Amino acid sequence: MRQIHIAISDESLVIREGLQSVFSRYQFIHRISHAPTLDALEKLLQRTTIQIVIINPYVIQSNQSQFLQLKNKNECIKWIGMLYSHFTSGMLAKLDGTIDIFDTGEAIAAKLLKWIESGSTENSLQSKEILTERETDVLKHLADGKSNKEIADKLNISINTVITHRKNISQKTGIKSVSGLTIYAVVQNLISLDNF
Amino acid sequence: MKKTNKILPDIKIAEAIIDNPFLVLLLERFNISLPVQDLNISDLCKSYGINETLFEAFVSMYNGNTSIPELKLNEHDALTIVHFLRVSHIYYSEQIYPEITELINRMNQLNDHKEMKLVSVFFKDYFREVTDHLDYENEVFHPYVIQLASQINNNEPSNIRDEYSVKQYKARHDDIEEKLNDLRNLLIKYLPVNQDQTVRRKLLFLLSELEFDLKIHSDIEELILIPFTLRMEKKVKQTEQ
Repeated sequence: MRQIHIAISDESLVIREGLQSVFSRYQFIHRISHAPTLDALEKLLQRTTIQIVIINPYVIQSNQSQFLQLKNKNECIKWIGMLYSHFTSGMLAKLDGTIDIFDTGEAIAAKLLKWIESGSTENSLQSKEILTERETDVLKHLADGKSNKEIADKLNISINTVITHRKNISQKTGIKSVSGLTIYAVVQNLISLDNF
Repeated sequence: MKKTNKILPDIKIAEAIIDNPFLVLLLERFNISLPVQDLNISDLCKSYGINETLFEAFVSMYNGNTSIPELKLNEHDALTIVHFLRVSHIYYSEQIYPEITELINRMNQLNDHKEMKLVSVFFKDYFREVTDHLDYENEVFHPYVIQLASQINNNEPSNIRDEYSVKQYKARHDDIEEKLNDLRNLLIKYLPVNQDQTVRRKLLFLLSELEFDLKIHSDIEELILIPFTLRMEKKVKQTEQ
């Protein structure tokens, strides 16, 4: 599992410290930064890469346009509302998900994992090199030890198309050998180490 | 690092080494050890009995030139080239590969990410492939070149195995640097770092050094030794007729 960096944006120190204490139990959370206000958050995002922002919708409510600008500028970040009060559904729709103050640590961790797996946070780390869905399929079968012919049959495409996908995968990752690509696939969580 | 591009006989070898320290490896493979005083290339070649043209071509390759003109070589040069390659093999298998293996082991101790174990397996498999490749050259191809050279030199009748030709070697001469480049990409771009930053940097330096050296090694085989062996084969066949 890749380690992630989370920012907590809430004016309350008690909430920030409380969340930090919950998060510190989970190894996949590598770093936690505090940003009490939107201005502080903006500065933080300028100097570091964050995968998830946990934000109190109150912070947004006072300056919605600044929030939307920030969100548009940081498309790869998942924006999660920290709920301990009631908000309109319109406000919550602006966020990618919510955590409730009564959620257990396990429930919060499960939600965080789901948000990490759901894709856009992956993009922020892989930048321009991300493989297409088809290339990812080819890579998974390749790492599984299948030949070009077997991959072609499995995916219902021609051997030439498999070869083209392989060339593109190598060009994007810089890795040519099947054994090297297998390690890449494990690092990117495309295949599990249990396959070995 | 400034590298002398045009290699001339009157260039001081010490200056060429200061420009490009990799030339120390080249000297070792010609059985020349430091210090080299103020000798120029021509004097050095004379005192060690090395063909000056061949030596200059090798220096030029180590300085990054890939276009090598056809060299006028004799059978004695074939032995020099084979010796050069065999000393390189010993350097790979007894020095640089064990050093890389040790660094990978250290990286594994410092970084407990599961993926790092795969790196060890990757390099172990790769090392096995390289060893097979080097063994084949040591046991089959190089003795064949030496035998050809000695037959031409002594004007002996051919007792070369009919079924073997340098063409077979050429066909199986694969690219052994490719996986090193894969490993560098994985270390630079993808493998998660833990406490292994320093060891990883040292490993990257060694891998780059080895990749550079292997590329020249393979160019010497492809651009110099294989064409020359083909010419020797032709000569032996003509003598038979």
